[in-house]
Amino acid sequence: MVFGFRKKETFEGGGLILFNAVEEAIKGERLLKEAGIDAKLVAPPPILRRGCDLALEINLIEKVGVERILKDKKADYIDILPIKGNGELLEVVKVTDFDSAVMVKAGNMKLTFDRESGVVLNVSGGGCPDVPYLHAELLGRKLSEAQRPREKGHTLCSLMLDRAFVESLDIWSNGHK
Amino acid sequence: MFLICGTVPREDIPLIFGAVSFDGNSLVMEEKFIPCTQGTAALVSAACATAGFLGIEAPHALLVGDSGSGRGSRKIYEYLSENLSSLQPRVLVLHYMLPVMGLMRRVYEAASRLPNKPVLIADAAAMYAAKAAGLAPGFDVFTPDPSEIAFLADPEATHPAYVSRHLFESDVTKVPELVKAAYRNKSAAKMLLVKGSTDFVVEAGKILATVAEPDVPALEAIGGTGDTISGMMGALIASGLDPRIAAVVTAKANRTAGLYAKATPATRISEIIRVLPDVFRDHYASWLSEYTRG
Repeated sequence: MVFGFRKKETFEGGGLILFNAVEEAIKGERLLKEAGIDAKLVAPPPILRRGCDLALEINLIEKVGVERILKDKKADYIDILPIKGNGELLEVVKVTDFDSAVMVKAGNMKLTFDRESGVVLNVSGGGCPDVPYLHAELLGRKLSEAQRPREKGHTLCSLMLDRAFVESLDIWSNGHK
Repeated sequence: MFLICGTVPREDIPLIFGAVSFDGNSLVMEEKFIPCTQGTAALVSAACATAGFLGIEAPHALLVGDSGSGRGSRKIYEYLSENLSSLQPRVLVLHYMLPVMGLMRRVYEAASRLPNKPVLIADAAAMYAAKAAGLAPGFDVFTPDPSEIAFLADPEATHPAYVSRHLFESDVTKVPELVKAAYRNKSAAKMLLVKGSTDFVVEAGKILATVAEPDVPALEAIGGTGDTISGMMGALIASGLDPRIAAVVTAKANRTAGLYAKATPATRISEIIRVLPDVFRDHYASWLSEYTRG
């Protein structure tokens, strides 16, 4: 059985795009809506006011995809931040040694590669829908030849996977100098 | 009905609903073959393998292609909001889908309106959405990994990428503290199965059991070994098993499957799922008797 799709109306964000000027915020809203991304013009809370007092509320999880759209369309913005919390993404990574393989963990994402060949053996963790897609894209590819996850991903999970990827590439490259 | 909902990484898969089976390599549904890879496909495959062993009705699945844009995910939220009243699932598992708080709230409200509210299980981003939307205490089971229990413990985080550094760096000895914090913040389901080097079975904030054997460290590297846990858990609960016992059996079965499959960091999740029937055949009765006698 195959079903159609009825357009939803509900929107609840969690992230803010900050702009320097009102017209940039309005342009940003138009570009995102044209791309099918939910966005709502809002006043940023005082603590996050950095330029004009108009911001765009977005679904924070879609940060990577939103950044790519705004960059491709050459739309200026200051930053994308969570409405709650200190706004700092996790920078720390953890490395696990499996003898012939190395696992790098960044946030909720883990990438494991073959220590000798640099081939990606597995991707685990995460929960957003681009993770299984990126898993399939990366599996069996050499780190040095694979596309970075943030180039194809849309979500914060892909951003964490990108961090694990960059760290993995660094570890593997240093081991082969 | 035991219903599993989530996305698969193929944009050519429309929203499909129906009974599903696992042929050892792929999911078979609506004459479509979906590779058993990390994510909801692995969850459904493990649920099929478990249901097959238990001799219960095959799970139903609501699947859609979505490689991250969120378009497919929104179709799942919409479909569930409008059709749960007619589907009336007894167990409902929500899995890989773009977290959209407002839409998750609508699904939850639809489930809560049913004459018999289903057992609600959430993992992956559906769990992120449930927590961020403040719905966690209304869910029956979450199955977080260590980074995700840190996320549930952090009242400010709307995604594990924004977890406080000190929580992310917590090791397994800190899990009990993180569990307490998650319940204190009302960010935990009634029951948690925290999966990791040691698995913790938690109910209402109290740790009921831990499972640490057999120890197969490579399982952490294999994409999908958390998904299989949610699939098995759902099937065992759908068979009528007490969720507390289901959680312990699930943790033991996942680890033992790693042993049977001789798991290495390069093992594929389909290799783990293929041995599940053997694992259950060899151990299910003894595990069950261990936890049901007195």
